[in-house]
Amino acid sequence: MAKTAEEIADAMFKMVSDAQGLKKLKPGDLNKLMIQTYPDEVDKKLCKAAIKLLVNNGRCVYTYFGGSFIELPHREGAAND
Amino acid sequence: MAERLTDIGPPHYEKFLPPIVKENYGKWLYHEVLKPGVMVHVSESGAKLFTIRAGSPRLISTEKIRNYADLAEKYCGGHLRFTSRHNVEFLLTDEKNIDPLIKDLADLGHPVGGIGNAISSIVHTQGWVHCHSAATDASGVVKAVMDDLNEYFTSTKLPGKLRIALACCLNMCGAVHCSDIAILGIHRRPPKVNHDTLRKMCEIPSVSASCPTAAIRPATVNGNPSVEVLEDRCMFCANCYTVCPSMPLNDPLNDGISIWIGGKVSNARHEPMFSKLAIPFIPNNPPRWPEVTTAIRNIVELWAANANKYERMGEWIERIGWPKFFKMSGIEFQKEHIDDFKHAGLTFKRSTHITF
Amino acid sequence: MADQLPNTPILDELEKGTWPSFVKEIKLAAKNSPMSRDLLGLLEQSYEEKIGHWKHGGIVGVMGYGGGVIGRYSDLPEKYPNVSHFHTIRINQPSGWFYTSEALRTLCDIWDKHGSGLTNMHGSTGDIVFLGCRTEALEPIFSELTEAGFDLGGSGSDVRTPSCCVGPARCEWACYDTLALTYDLTMHYQDELHRPAFPYKFKFKMSGCPNDCVASIARSDMSIIGIWRDDIQINHDEVTKYAEGGMNIQRDVVGNCPGKCMDWDGKELKIENSYCRHCMHCINVMTKALRPGKDRGACVLLGSKAPIVEGALLSSVLIPFWKPKPPYTDLKDMVERMHDVWCEEGKARERIGEFIQRVGLGNFLEECEIDIAPEMVAHPRENPYIFYEEYYEEDDGEEDEDGE
Repeated sequence: MAKTAEEIADAMFKMVSDAQGLKKLKPGDLNKLMIQTYPDEVDKKLCKAAIKLLVNNGRCVYTYFGGSFIELPHREGAAND
Repeated sequence: MAERLTDIGPPHYEKFLPPIVKENYGKWLYHEVLKPGVMVHVSESGAKLFTIRAGSPRLISTEKIRNYADLAEKYCGGHLRFTSRHNVEFLLTDEKNIDPLIKDLADLGHPVGGIGNAISSIVHTQGWVHCHSAATDASGVVKAVMDDLNEYFTSTKLPGKLRIALACCLNMCGAVHCSDIAILGIHRRPPKVNHDTLRKMCEIPSVSASCPTAAIRPATVNGNPSVEVLEDRCMFCANCYTVCPSMPLNDPLNDGISIWIGGKVSNARHEPMFSKLAIPFIPNNPPRWPEVTTAIRNIVELWAANANKYERMGEWIERIGWPKFFKMSGIEFQKEHIDDFKHAGLTFKRSTHITF
Repeated sequence: MADQLPNTPILDELEKGTWPSFVKEIKLAAKNSPMSRDLLGLLEQSYEEKIGHWKHGGIVGVMGYGGGVIGRYSDLPEKYPNVSHFHTIRINQPSGWFYTSEALRTLCDIWDKHGSGLTNMHGSTGDIVFLGCRTEALEPIFSELTEAGFDLGGSGSDVRTPSCCVGPARCEWACYDTLALTYDLTMHYQDELHRPAFPYKFKFKMSGCPNDCVASIARSDMSIIGIWRDDIQINHDEVTKYAEGGMNIQRDVVGNCPGKCMDWDGKELKIENSYCRHCMHCINVMTKALRPGKDRGACVLLGSKAPIVEGALLSSVLIPFWKPKPPYTDLKDMVERMHDVWCEEGKARERIGEFIQRVGLGNFLEECEIDIAPEMVAHPRENPYIFYEEYYEEDDGEEDEDGE
């Protein structure tokens, strides 16, 4: 049974939430984990769509620390008011 | 609210091409350099397009861009372009407009040149104007060097092309590593670990994995997890700092400039080559970095006086040999000139082809 | 007075001299922008102390994009409050950096309204760079830019803004349409450009001939450099005119040919084209007499980068000769296979060139289903440490490798 992009976005959101503050996840990590978890139900394209959903509605944001990551929105250490 | 536009990409270039370019697209037959900074392209159709190239500091105000727009409207039907080395180019169809445009550019403070056997504008990075990892300023050094070498921008008296580039740290946003002369900001002090912020801001495994020489390892500091740096293994690349802001290397006492020479990207004659170390370290001396400008002028004049026609810096040095270059330039050969990173052995002299 | 320029005796030194001054530019911008005024103060302090005063911000951006905005904060926000935030915006340039004055004025209007009034024309990768704005200005700027037909460029682990030389728009040496390919790839990779999904950055640069005016062989993961494979076109009358005009053809043209494939007997220039290395030197110096051949295309090379992390690389040959034909599906399919392999096995911050160094070019090509060719190497290996993957057993009998 194929998953929808919304379902994958929810599963990714949970992964990012659980990892927040412990490990920064790259979009590639999320894709790999999703394809591992639901081997016959998701592919690269669906993962891409799911990430687009996550960042477009602001549940997650891209960050850059020497490489690009997906994280929950938060105030960063370097920020000034 | 209007729908949010995304992923529209850049405007299509055809919208911005001058009519003469559209008409002769892909039909150019040959070009000639008429005088420094001025060339003409002739089409199969007989059409002639005159290009005036002017130098720019790259860091420019909107007011300056509006000045350029005014000139484009006055002389070129509102069209202009920029080059890969930050020059601005005006494309004229009427030869009579060349000199008035050059005069207007001079009034704006912009020299015309950079075509043919000349130095072109220095490709460079942001430096202290905008960068967090800069080991030197970029715009200031470039300004000082170009003030000194401007005569080689506005003339074609050099033996060949001279491409200078500046990067204010090893990240090389201005990928300078294949330039005739590369001015490279370097750090020389290992990162000073900020253990308090590191705990909150960075992942320890990523920080230690970021080090190409395995100089960073996890450690417990004051009872908290952090990292320690094996200082004798650090070669100051600052990759750890890019991954983790708590590993700053910036240090006024130890930061400065290194000079690398003899690289090229063009395939003309010799294959593309990397620049090689000429001067390991010159301390930062703002606002005019006189030691840097003097060193560069010395190298440029030595090359100009001794190279064959068309010979780039690296081709000339390869012909005469590096020992001769060090002798002629008076630059001291030091331990730092000998590579000791990966594949260093490939750079050792492995023959008796030695000149005396 | 708040709108007075700060005292900057050190920087003022850089207003002198014949080369255009960036300090004058900052002062021009400072007439209308408190941000640029504080930038002058901050920069003067950097010149005094010989150290920068910026912090990297890793989160700021426009909604939904992971690239195009570089976060910057001053580390002296109390002293210079107007540069407390000083973010950079990268805007995707049109192919070949052609503009109309109208388009430039539109960009200036947007930037004067929301930012410092300072720009780079252009950044090293090719983008238009807007230097210095506050976080809350990002969305309005983005909205006005897209309204005007512009979009953001790349940053982070994504496809970086592709760029190209002036190409057939104004160059007789362009062996393919660099502007068209650049625009096509930029549009094709919009998602990959705005939503970073790679181990690290990936750059495309398109040069129309081996002179490589955009330095693609040194500065892009995929370097697409124009080349031809038939005979150099010769206009013998023009050769004669160069000789009569005093050009030393033997020394300056023939003598510089790396393939030693030219002969000049004082009357006629002969080229043994099968030994021509397509270096461009003779064509560069005899522009009216020599032109690239008519069977034109591109050499595709892969893997160049600056030193970070494992050392600098130049690109190396991937396809010795490729005929670019819109919509370039053959190239895009190949790039997708390469991206898949790199994304699957690449480490964080590992460029594709470094990845190939680690796994081996032969293995990489095999995984990406790309045919090998002798043009890919400067010479065959010199060491005998060959990784054979299979060997025969006594009872393999007559079966061949495929077991048929």
